[in-house]
Amino acid sequence: MFWHVFKYRLKCLLRDRITLFWTLIFPLVLGTLFHFTFGHLTSDAEGFEAIKTAVIDDESYRGNTPFQEVLQALAEPGRDQFLDLVIVPAEEAERLLDEGSVVGVIRVGEDMELMVRRRGIRQSILKSFLDTYSQTMNTAQAIAVENPAASFEPRLSFTEEISFSGAKPDTNLGYFYALIAMTCVYGSYWGIRNTMHLQADQSPQGARRSIAPTRKTRIVLSDTLAALVITLGEVSLLLTYVHFAFGISFGDQLGLILLTSLVGSASGVALGNVVGTSVRGDENLKYVVLLIANLTLSFLAGLMWAPMKDMVSQRFPLLGYLNPAALIADCFYSLHIYSTLQRFWINIGVLCLITVVLSLVSAIHLRRERYASL
Amino acid sequence: MQVFRSYFKILRSNRVAILWNLGVFMVLAVFFSTTAPETNEDMFEPTRTRIAVINRDPGGVLAEGLEKHLEQVGQRVFLNDDEEELQDALFYRRVQYIAIIPEGFSQDFMEGNEGKVETVVIPNSTMSYYMDMSVDAFLNTARLHNVHGRSHTQTDLVRLVLSDLDTHTRVVMKQSGVSTDSEPNYQYFFNYCAYALLAMIVSGISSTMIAFNRPDLYMRNRCAPIPQRKVSLQILAGHGIFALACWSLLMILAMLLYGRSLSGSGLTLFYFGNTLAFTMVCLSIGFLLGDIIKNHNAQTGAVQVITLGLNFLGGVFVPQEVMSQSVLAVARFLPSFWFVQGNELITSLSDFSKASIMPVYTSILTQAGFAIAIAAVALLLRKERRMSQFA
Repeated sequence: MFWHVFKYRLKCLLRDRITLFWTLIFPLVLGTLFHFTFGHLTSDAEGFEAIKTAVIDDESYRGNTPFQEVLQALAEPGRDQFLDLVIVPAEEAERLLDEGSVVGVIRVGEDMELMVRRRGIRQSILKSFLDTYSQTMNTAQAIAVENPAASFEPRLSFTEEISFSGAKPDTNLGYFYALIAMTCVYGSYWGIRNTMHLQADQSPQGARRSIAPTRKTRIVLSDTLAALVITLGEVSLLLTYVHFAFGISFGDQLGLILLTSLVGSASGVALGNVVGTSVRGDENLKYVVLLIANLTLSFLAGLMWAPMKDMVSQRFPLLGYLNPAALIADCFYSLHIYSTLQRFWINIGVLCLITVVLSLVSAIHLRRERYASL
Repeated sequence: MQVFRSYFKILRSNRVAILWNLGVFMVLAVFFSTTAPETNEDMFEPTRTRIAVINRDPGGVLAEGLEKHLEQVGQRVFLNDDEEELQDALFYRRVQYIAIIPEGFSQDFMEGNEGKVETVVIPNSTMSYYMDMSVDAFLNTARLHNVHGRSHTQTDLVRLVLSDLDTHTRVVMKQSGVSTDSEPNYQYFFNYCAYALLAMIVSGISSTMIAFNRPDLYMRNRCAPIPQRKVSLQILAGHGIFALACWSLLMILAMLLYGRSLSGSGLTLFYFGNTLAFTMVCLSIGFLLGDIIKNHNAQTGAVQVITLGLNFLGGVFVPQEVMSQSVLAVARFLPSFWFVQGNELITSLSDFSKASIMPVYTSILTQAGFAIAIAAVALLLRKERRMSQFA
């Protein structure tokens, strides 16, 4: 009987095209939009490119051979190219600056001068470069005065890039984690659909099923399983889609990714069950409550602004642990960035706990329900 | 006027959806425009990268000197020497650069056995390049003094280096014209208007059209003793007034939030005009959608997809300058692209000469073109269907 009910529940839910749209098509569309607008953002916006600079071609520039040599070395095309240089007369340089085709204009002189139109990291780098040049010249001169025979070695690099786990700290992944979390939590729309068809005062189907000679626990369990199977299927589809279409990597621990999806989907369905059973009112009210809950949870998990999740867990750690969406997103994050699994298991544990508590609450509301009239 | 009156009756019954969109917009607009930094443009100040310095060489005077130097260049965020904490902070950009000074660094350095500062960075980022330069500047100068025997103690060395590094190139900020290059908060607001206008107007207009297009209702109205032309005109007037009302509401909001800085910029009317052009686009889209779609469920889905799609791809949520070229090439075929472009052009207006204002007008007219084209398609489809309906 269990599988019979399950089968028809599955069919019934899958025919609900609107819920299917919101729980499957909508996340896919959102994922696509995410990818096209900022899929490449970190590398482009934060990535270093040779800085477009104009140097004013005048007497003092032509007279300053050491500076010319330094500039030439830095403008050498290649992977380490630092400056993208044009050497032009003063008016031309200012025109280029006004147009925005160069970041800054260098005027060579006794003291160097930099002309810019706005503040920014590239401008700061140019200033820092000129500072370092002048300062090194001064230091070297001071040394040469004391010791005319001193010879100078080339500058060294004193930094070495290391990485704790080899994972790239790409904030934009946070949006995809939040999107998957949202899809899991959207399983609540299947959960609430089920409760509408379970309670006698909510729908004719509910009334009919309440008097059917099948045990209520069996109906509830098979309904929930159907919702869970659909949600898990949707989440898996989304994962497959963003992985293969956009190359978003979730790490190689497939088993743990599936576990997160499963537990996440379960928490979503449980959330829907709770709202469907414990909010008193008509269908519209329940859906509005659920919609607001889902949006709030997803927002706090970083769907609209990825650093949100981190901000919440920094300032209100408890809130971070109570939000299933944030926990799901954090599971994916932990799998990606940490070399150990401690935080992952804590998240999964809390997520299971939330699911159990939510399920218990809806069970209390559902059992032994009696109606004076329908 | 019956049609006109019932238009607003229908609208009233859909107020929850419309107000919901307005609410979401207001939360987003206020949230994002308050988080956007407001900078003073008159003086040049170097960008301060958020950095964490983990000093594993306690007591090393040289290491402390380096710490001090980096604190001057960057904006220091204090973090514990804990791997997970550091990774979290870097991933979510609480810090953009982490420098770890290894144990025994100062002593080794003095003995000519120079070690390296370990850095955890956003790979290839401009910020990490900048901070690497600062670390190198400090240590190369220290090495220069050290190799040439100019100091014998770490304290001496640090004093020498810090005084050397206190060399500052003169930076001239070139200003030309009325506005600066920073993006003022209200630019974000006007960009987000695209979201609010689309969501409100498209859902409002399509809701009323779905109601008027219900076959039984439509047929009854057709045989009512009122000319079809009047019905259409009244519905159209309803659309226009509703769209204008949404637009005015947002513009009033803009004046309330940014009135002072806006009127100071002298650009208010340009922003208003650009937003009005986009309002027309929204009206046409709502008109088209209302004709194609039959029921409310499909409508909510379509409104969300259209709104989010146009906003994301047009560069409302993510600045156009950082979007990839290929996406932008496609985005040119979307009206929202021209709306955002218009806002950006207006913000960067440096004078009101014909040559600088022309591009702004181009953006506005392009949007008007989109509005007309979409409306034409809608009318064509409508005519086609009406013909087949009663054939």
